[in-house]
Amino acid sequence: MTTAPQRQLEIDGISKRYGQTVAVQDLTFQIRAGELFGFVGRNGAGKTTTMRVVLGVLAPDAGAVRWLGQPLTLETRRRIGYMPEERGLYPKMRVAEQLAYLGELHGMTGVDAREASGRWVERFGLADRRDAELQALSLGNQQRIQLAAALVFGPDMLVLDEPFAGLDPVAVDVMSGVLREQAQAGLPVIFSSHELELVERLCDRVGIIDHGRMLACGTVAELRAGGRERRWLDVPGAPDGWETGLPGVRLVQTDGSRRLFELDPGVDDQVLLQAGLATGPVREFERVEPSLGELFRTVIGEAAA
Amino acid sequence: MTLPSRSPGGRRPLPAVVLVARREIRVRLRSRVFVGGTILMTALVVIGIVAASLLAGRTTPVRVGFNDGSQALERTFTATATALGANVTVSDVADIATGEAQVTAGMLDVLVTGSATAPTAVAKAAVPPTVESALSLAAEAARLSDAGLSPAAITSAMALVPIQLLQPPDAKDTQNLLASLALGILLWIALGQYGNMVAQGVVEEKATRIMEILLATIRPTRLLAGKVIGIGLVGLLQLTIVGAAALIAVRLTNVVTIPALGVTSILADIFWFLIGFLFYATAYSAVASLVSRQEEVQSAVAPISILQITGYLLMYAALPNPSGPLATVASLLPPFAPILMAVRMAASDVPVWQVGLAAALAVASIVGLTWLAGRMYANAALRVGTRVRFKDAFRG
Repeated sequence: MTTAPQRQLEIDGISKRYGQTVAVQDLTFQIRAGELFGFVGRNGAGKTTTMRVVLGVLAPDAGAVRWLGQPLTLETRRRIGYMPEERGLYPKMRVAEQLAYLGELHGMTGVDAREASGRWVERFGLADRRDAELQALSLGNQQRIQLAAALVFGPDMLVLDEPFAGLDPVAVDVMSGVLREQAQAGLPVIFSSHELELVERLCDRVGIIDHGRMLACGTVAELRAGGRERRWLDVPGAPDGWETGLPGVRLVQTDGSRRLFELDPGVDDQVLLQAGLATGPVREFERVEPSLGELFRTVIGEAAA
Repeated sequence: MTLPSRSPGGRRPLPAVVLVARREIRVRLRSRVFVGGTILMTALVVIGIVAASLLAGRTTPVRVGFNDGSQALERTFTATATALGANVTVSDVADIATGEAQVTAGMLDVLVTGSATAPTAVAKAAVPPTVESALSLAAEAARLSDAGLSPAAITSAMALVPIQLLQPPDAKDTQNLLASLALGILLWIALGQYGNMVAQGVVEEKATRIMEILLATIRPTRLLAGKVIGIGLVGLLQLTIVGAAALIAVRLTNVVTIPALGVTSILADIFWFLIGFLFYATAYSAVASLVSRQEEVQSAVAPISILQITGYLLMYAALPNPSGPLATVASLLPPFAPILMAVRMAASDVPVWQVGLAAALAVASIVGLTWLAGRMYANAALRVGTRVRFKDAFRG
């Protein structure tokens, strides 16, 4: 059976080492068109290296990056909107001229580039600063221009390294809105971030990377399914340690008489409830959805153990 | 679908090298450094030429007014003065009082009165000896004519003794050496300025981190080529402006006799600027790509700067004897040829084969340097932070 190549950005088994340091090790994942993919991991986990490899700024030691089933070339890479971790534009170049220049470098005609540049400058409310030098803008506005630089040429994909770093709350909303809108327009969008709540709220899928390896990848719900269930239980009259001896149950946190338990996969929460009832009246029994932050810590912790 | 067109409106995407070069040109032409530098250089050159012309005393012809009978001498006087190498203009003066007033007022340099055979002259200050001789000879011719000699007999009687120079007038006179030196210094300044501009530009892109965005869309070698071409064209434009101003100043001040300020010499200068710029720009860009901060540029480019300064010092050493062994050998070596060959060509006649050899060696070394710079730049462009070692940049 032959199918049309999937509209997805495939990262297929890429590895990259710097001397003795392994930056990325056999990393494989996909970002589908129209999907917002959140890339999370500690500093030095390999996020930036991965994105640089996707952009072709770095050559991987092994592996390939494909779009629509074809390895990326300079031509297809020019269609990627990129925001590097280290922000950078020409400080002494005028705002609109700079965006138009970047548009042309990405293959637009001069006319289209100037038109698109004007549109984005206006969209970000900077129409009156279009002829100002970039360095004359506030930091927040420079960030907006940086995002505009990734979007000005109407990219086929978006790769953004820490796009939310250093943004004020209003700018975070603008950025979130733009990323959503671009994904809805059918682009695969990948971005890295340390703001796990934001990633959880915004992303369709999440990849957790550590020491250059993908530890977990999927929707937040899928990650939760792979993780451990948690229950809050309030048994005011129970003695300490009443739960010891219950297989696969671990006390995580105590809050007055409330206790948070973590269940190993496959453990029946009714067993925990029965054990609680056996010690006294149960005032509260609550299923807890772990946040992405908790999932992240669990996954990283397990990998380290 | 719009038809493809070459209109400046930009209806078709342009090659990356062109875009990069165009950006460089736009940004640089707008900068105060360019505008101020051009004005300053032009002013210096024009002042220098005017000063040279004043020193040479050739700015204004000697104005000689003739009164009454002496007016018959005008033609002979002009011809003789020209033959003697003096620059004169003659005019009729109606009466002696007016003429003397004009001499006093500085509107006339010499007033000749009396008859053609026994004229007397008045001047405010000293009269150039050639003018004095021309006047005496003209009066003598008039006396001979009075005595009944035919014009042909007079001409033959008064023929100047031809002196054949065993050493033809070499351009080695002081003015020409000074002019050549001035050209060399200007060329040296321009090469240093534009070479450094390339170095600063390379580091600017690393320091501001825009390099990563650029290299995601364009190959490093094209980025470098565009930058060098753009900045080179800006330099060429500046030198052309200065050169044109120089030529105009030369025309207006009549110092055309200084060969170093002739059209050929100035064209040769622009040619050597291009060669020197390509040589130094590629060298500067290669070493500049190793560092990431503006503060480090000067130390990174030091080896190249030292080469340039050596060329500057060699210029002084070589100029007194532009055809000597030191000047000849040094002007053939690619790092020094752009300045030394330009100076030698201005100061003296250089055999064509030497010019050709120097140009060929320089072009060959530019080709090699371009390869090396492209390789180092591509390898070091994204290594931000500590200085990249030459070995690492070379190996990749």
